[in-house]
Amino acid sequence: MKSFLVSVMLLSGILCFAQESYQSIILKKELTEHANAVLRDENILVEVEDVDKMTVTTRRVVTVLNKYGNGFVRAYDFYDDGDAKIKSQSAYVYNKMGNEIKKYKQRDFKDQSAVGSSNLYSDNRVSYLDYSPMSYPYTVVYESEVQMSTTVFIQPFQPVDAYYVSVESSEYQLKNPNHIPLRYLESNLDSIQVEKNNTDFEISYAVKNIPAYKYEPYSPQISELTPKVKVALDKFSLMGVEGTANNWKEFGKWQYENLIEGRDELYSSTKAEITALVKDAETDYQKAKLIYEYMQGKTRYISVQLGIGGWEPILATEVDRVGYGDCKGLTNYMKALLASQGIKSNYAVVYAGDEQKDIDPKFASMQGNHVILNVPGIAEEDVWLECTSQSLPFNYLGDFTDNRHVLLIKEDGGEIVKTPNYECDINLEETLCEIDLSEDAFTANIKKQSKGIPYGNNYHIQGQKDKDKNIYYKEVFGNLQGIHFDHLSFENDKEQASFSEELEFTGKKFYTTAGNRILLPLNFIEPEIDMVSRDEDRHDPVEILRGFTNKDQFNFKIPEGYAVEALPEAISIETDFGSFKFSVESSKDDPDVLVVKRSVSVNQGHWPADKFGDFREFLNKINMLSNQKAVLVKNS
Amino acid sequence: MRLKFYLIAFLLVGGAMQAQNYKFGKVSKEEVEETEHPTNKDADAAILYKKQYSFYDYNSTTGLSLVTRYHYRIKLYNEDGFDWATVQLDEYKSSNDEEKIYGVKGYTYNILDGKLVDEKLRKDEIFDEEISKYRDAIKFTMPSLQAGSVVEYEYEKRSPFLTSLDDTELQATIPIKMMEVKVEIPEFFGFVSHYNQLASLFIPIDKTSEPFNMHTQSNDYLQTVYTITKENIPALKEEVYVDYLYNYAARIKWELQYTKFPNQPMDYFSHSWEDVSKSIYDDGGYATELRRSNFFKDDVDAVLDGASSAEEKLVRIYNFIKSKVAWNDYIGYTAENGIKKAYKEGSGNTGDINLLLIAMLRYAGLEAHPVLLSTKSNGVPVFPTRSGFNYVIAGIQFGEQTLLLDATDKNAAPGELPERARNWQGRIIKDEGKSDWVYLLPTYKSKELNYMNLQITEDLKLKGKYTGIYEKLVAKNFRDKYKGINEESYLELLQEGKGDILISELTKENENAIGQNVKEVYQFEINNGIEAIGDKLYVNPLLFLSEKENPFKAEERTYPIYLNYPVEYASTINFMIPKGYKIESLPESAMVNMNDEDAKFKYLITQSSNFLRLETSIDLNKSVFSANDYEHLKNFFDEIVSKHSEAIVLSKIEEDNGSTELTEGRR
Repeated sequence: MKSFLVSVMLLSGILCFAQESYQSIILKKELTEHANAVLRDENILVEVEDVDKMTVTTRRVVTVLNKYGNGFVRAYDFYDDGDAKIKSQSAYVYNKMGNEIKKYKQRDFKDQSAVGSSNLYSDNRVSYLDYSPMSYPYTVVYESEVQMSTTVFIQPFQPVDAYYVSVESSEYQLKNPNHIPLRYLESNLDSIQVEKNNTDFEISYAVKNIPAYKYEPYSPQISELTPKVKVALDKFSLMGVEGTANNWKEFGKWQYENLIEGRDELYSSTKAEITALVKDAETDYQKAKLIYEYMQGKTRYISVQLGIGGWEPILATEVDRVGYGDCKGLTNYMKALLASQGIKSNYAVVYAGDEQKDIDPKFASMQGNHVILNVPGIAEEDVWLECTSQSLPFNYLGDFTDNRHVLLIKEDGGEIVKTPNYECDINLEETLCEIDLSEDAFTANIKKQSKGIPYGNNYHIQGQKDKDKNIYYKEVFGNLQGIHFDHLSFENDKEQASFSEELEFTGKKFYTTAGNRILLPLNFIEPEIDMVSRDEDRHDPVEILRGFTNKDQFNFKIPEGYAVEALPEAISIETDFGSFKFSVESSKDDPDVLVVKRSVSVNQGHWPADKFGDFREFLNKINMLSNQKAVLVKNS
Repeated sequence: MRLKFYLIAFLLVGGAMQAQNYKFGKVSKEEVEETEHPTNKDADAAILYKKQYSFYDYNSTTGLSLVTRYHYRIKLYNEDGFDWATVQLDEYKSSNDEEKIYGVKGYTYNILDGKLVDEKLRKDEIFDEEISKYRDAIKFTMPSLQAGSVVEYEYEKRSPFLTSLDDTELQATIPIKMMEVKVEIPEFFGFVSHYNQLASLFIPIDKTSEPFNMHTQSNDYLQTVYTITKENIPALKEEVYVDYLYNYAARIKWELQYTKFPNQPMDYFSHSWEDVSKSIYDDGGYATELRRSNFFKDDVDAVLDGASSAEEKLVRIYNFIKSKVAWNDYIGYTAENGIKKAYKEGSGNTGDINLLLIAMLRYAGLEAHPVLLSTKSNGVPVFPTRSGFNYVIAGIQFGEQTLLLDATDKNAAPGELPERARNWQGRIIKDEGKSDWVYLLPTYKSKELNYMNLQITEDLKLKGKYTGIYEKLVAKNFRDKYKGINEESYLELLQEGKGDILISELTKENENAIGQNVKEVYQFEINNGIEAIGDKLYVNPLLFLSEKENPFKAEERTYPIYLNYPVEYASTINFMIPKGYKIESLPESAMVNMNDEDAKFKYLITQSSNFLRLETSIDLNKSVFSANDYEHLKNFFDEIVSKHSEAIVLSKIEEDNGSTELTEGRR
C-alpha cells in the first residue's frame, strides 16, 4: 500500500514537472535559433529479450515551432502481419503554455500502407498520429511500445537526421539480459557532449543541447554530419530466419544461404532459348550483353513486398512467367540467365540514389535499399548491371548507384567493393551552336553530345512524344523567347553510352536593345551553375560528388547593318575546384560571325569549410563571365 | 496498279474490323500485332473495348443491390503504356456497409513465334488493401507485358449504396476504339442523366423502357435502360493552367431526384438547384446544427464583449474559430463530427467548422448563411446534383453585399477564399431553404506593389532598398508560403535567383495580421547587376523584378486558361545616375492593352535631373481567359518579356567636354 502511494506521488510528480517543461515559450535561444522543431526529450529503450524477440519502447517529445516542423513529430510506428506488433501507442498535444489540448489513445491513430504508390502491394503498414495543428508552437508527447521478432535491424541511436531541428535531450538504452553478443559503431560524436555507459552487452547514450543544423549548399549529406551509433547483434533473426555473423564475410554468407541460394532455377525451355540467343557470340562479354538486352525486353519493374519477400528475391521461374519483378527478383533472374551460359555473377546490395550513400564497410548489418548485378571476369574491369531499367545500356549505372561501397553476396561470403566512378572528363556535355541573328528573330542549329552521367540524364528524351519533346526543350531553353522547333533528331549510341541531339529552331529576338546598340549575351546556352549566396559563417565542408565538363561553341552571325563595337576579353581561370575558359573573336572566314568558345569544368572533391569563399567565387565568376555581352552598333 | 493496291489495303482493313470479337477471351492476333494507333500515333495505349453494364439485382434475402460489371480490353503499344496494365479498383465503405468487388479475371495476350499466346492473372497476384477507413482497394498488375501486348480483365462490383450511381466515364486520356455502356434503373429510383456540357465531344444516349424482373409473381415493374454504343472516342488532351482536366471529359452524371418503393410514398430529392440546396439543407441537418448555441454561448459572449459593430463582431468570431478549431483536411458540406463535438475537440471537417461559424455569427445577430460549392477537383457544378456540391462556406449578408468566409483557412481574411473553394459559383441557402447563386471568383483586385531605390557604387555594384507591399490574395499567398519560416531559411529563399546578391536589414510587417497588407523592406547589394563594356555601362534597373520567361509556351490551346485571380504587379524604380556619367540611351516607353481592358501592360521611363524613374505594371483583370484569347495572351507576355529585358546605356562624361551634355540637353 505504501509503495503504491509512493509510486502515485512519483508519477504525478513527474507529470507536474513534465507539464511545466512542455511550455514552449521558455525554450533556450540556442535551441530555437534557425529551428523548425525541437526534440525536447527522447527516450528509446531497446530490450533484446531473445534472438527472435525484442521490444522497443519510445517516448518522444517534440515541440514544433512552425509549419515546416510538422514532419518531425514522427508520432508513428510500423507494423506488419506477423513480425512487428504495436503493443501500445498514445499521444498528448500541449499548447505553447504547456496546457494539454488533445489526447490520443491507440484506437485514435490512423492506419495506412507504409509504402508509397510506387509499390503495387506491401504488407508493411504504419499507424500514425493525424493531428491538425491549430497554432504554433505546440508540443507532442508520443509514447509507444512495439514488439518484434526480427532482430537483424536494431534501431540506431540517432537523435537528429534532419535540418533545422535541435535537440534538448535524447537518451538511448539497449538492454540485453541474455547477453547476446553485439557490436556498435559510433560516428560524429566528437563535436558534441555525450554521456555514455557501455558494457560488453549493454549500451546507453545521452546527449543534450545540440543546436539545429542549417542547410548549406554543396555540403555532404546531413546523415554524414549528425551523431549516430549503429548497433547490431551477432546472433539475430529475420522473419524467423536465424543467423550468426559479426563481419561482412559471415553476414554475406548468411544472406546467400538463406535468401539467395537455390532461387535461380530456370525452365529448360528458357535455358534453350538463351543458348540459342547467344550461339553466335564469341565472348562471355558479348553473351552477357545479349542476355541483358533480352532481359530488358522481357521484364518490367513492379514492386510487391510480402513477408520474407521483402528480403528474398522471387523465384527466377516466376519472373520468367509474369515478366515483372522488383530489383531483387529482376537481378536474381538476370543472374540465373547468365548462369545458364556458365557466366558467374554476384548479387550486389547497394543504397540507390544520387547521394552516393555507402554500405558501411566497417559495420556488418542489414543495409541497403536496392540490388544490382556484378559480373566479374568478362572484361578488364567488373561489369555492372542495373536490372530494373528497360533502356539503360549494358554496363551503365549512372548516378543511381555509381561510386559507392556495395555488398557482394557470394557463395563463400560477403565482400565489400566499390562501384565505378564517373570522372570529371567522362561527364561531358559538348555543344556546337550556329545562331543566325536578324533584326527581330533568330534561327539556330544546335548539335549536342552527352556522355557519362549526363548521358543517363538526357537519353530519355528520344523516346518522348513530339509534344513532350517540344515542352521539354522549351523549358531547357527557357531563356529564349518564342521558340519554334523545325527539326529534332537524335542518336543514342548505347555501345559508347553517348547521346547526340540535333535541334533546329527559330525564335524571337535574342538580344536586348539599347538605343541604336545591341547588347548580345554571349550565352546562348546558360551553364548549369547557379549563383551561390555569401555565407561568412560556413560550417560544413564543401563537397562535389561528381565532376563534370561542359564545352560550348556559339557561332553568332550578327544582324545585317550592324558592326561590332566592343567585345569582352578572353579569360582563363584555373583553380583547385576546376577551370573556366572563355573567348570571343570574329571568325577568320566571315567577319560577321562571332565565335564564342567556352569551357567549364568542375572537379570532384572534398574541401574544408574555410575554402567555401573561394569555391563560391569560382562558381559565381563562371556564372558572371558566361553572361558577358558583346556590343553591336548600327552602321550609320 | 496503284488503285488496285489501295483497294486491297482497304478491303483488308475493313475485313479486320468486321472480324472484331469483343467477347471476353476472344482477343485476335491482329489486335496484338497492331503497332500503333491508326489515327493517334502518339497514343501509348488504347482501350480496344470497354463495356460497362449496371443494373439493380434483387435477392429475396438481401434485397436490392447495385451491380456493375466491367470489361476492359487494352492495347499497350509501348512501355509507356504499361501503366494501363496496373489497376486499382476502389471499394467504398461506411460504418456498416461496403462495396465489394468479385470475380476479377484477367489475361495478357502476346505473339510468341508467330502464335497468339495468353498468360493468366493468378489469384495470388491480386491484392486487397485497406486504404483508409472509408476505402479498400483491389490491386493487380497484368503478367508478361511486352510492347504490343493486349490485356483484358473483367470484374463485378456490388454496392449496397443504391442511391449513388457513379459517374459513367465516356472518355479517357487514351483513345477508346469501342465502348458499350448499358445502365438499367428500375422505376423505384428517379435518376436523371446529365451529360457533361463542358466536354467538346458529344456521345448520344439511347433510352428505352423494359420490364424489371424481381423474381416474384408480380412482374409489373418497369426499368429504364440507357444504352451507349460508340466507336473511336478520341483521347482527352492534356494542357497546363487547367482548373481540372476531367471537367472537359465526356461523362454522365446521375442525379437522384426521387425514390418510390412499392407501397411507399414518393421521396423527393431534387430536380432544380433550389431543390438540391433544400435537400442538402434538410438532410445535412443544417436547421438543427445552425440553431445550436448552448455549448458556445458563454465563450462567444466573452469574445464579443465590448464589440459594437457587426463588422467587429464578425472579425472577432471568425478569428476565434480559427484559433479554436483546426481543419482536419477532410472536406464535405455536412458536419462530420457535429459542430458541438468539433468545437469541443478542436478539429473538424469543412462542414463542422463553417457551420459552426454560421451558428456563432447568427448567435451574434448577423445574417449568416451556408454557401454550398464544389471544389476544383470536384468539377464545375453545371447540373443540379447533390454530388455537384462537396463543400460549404459561410456567406454574410450586409445589405446587398455578400461577404464570403471560410474558417478552415487560417490565412484567409474575410472575403478571401482558399484556392480550392474559388470555383465559379456557389449556392447560398437562406431561410427555409430558399437559395440563390453567389459568385465565388474574386471580383476585387489583389496587388503586388514593388518600390526600389537604386544607385551605382564606385566599384560598379548596385546598391538599393526594396519595399514590397502585398495586398489581398497576394498577401494570403505570401502567408501560405512563408508564414512561420525561420528568418535564415527565408533569406536564402529570398536571395535565390536574384544573382550575386546580399540582402540585409530585412523587416516584414503584418506577416501574421491576416487581412492587412504585408510589407517587406530590405537593403541589397548586387555584384553582377551592371555590364561595363568599353567606356559604357549597361544596366536594367528592373533587376530581379523583371518578367524573364513567358509562362505560355504551347503553340495552341483547347481549354480555358485559369490565372487564379485578378491581380496587378506594379514596380516603381528610382535610379540615380552616377556622377561622371550621362545617359546614352533609354528604352522607349510602352503601353499594351489586350482585349480592351482585360489585361494591361505599362512601361514608363522618365528622367528628372540625375534621377530616372521607371514605372511598369502588369494588370490582369480576369481570373479566367477563354481559349480564344490564348494567342493574345501569349503575345501580350512576349511583349512584356521583351520590354523587361531592355537596358539603359550610360556613358562617361569627358571632363574637358562638359558642354556637350548641355547642348544635348537643350535640343
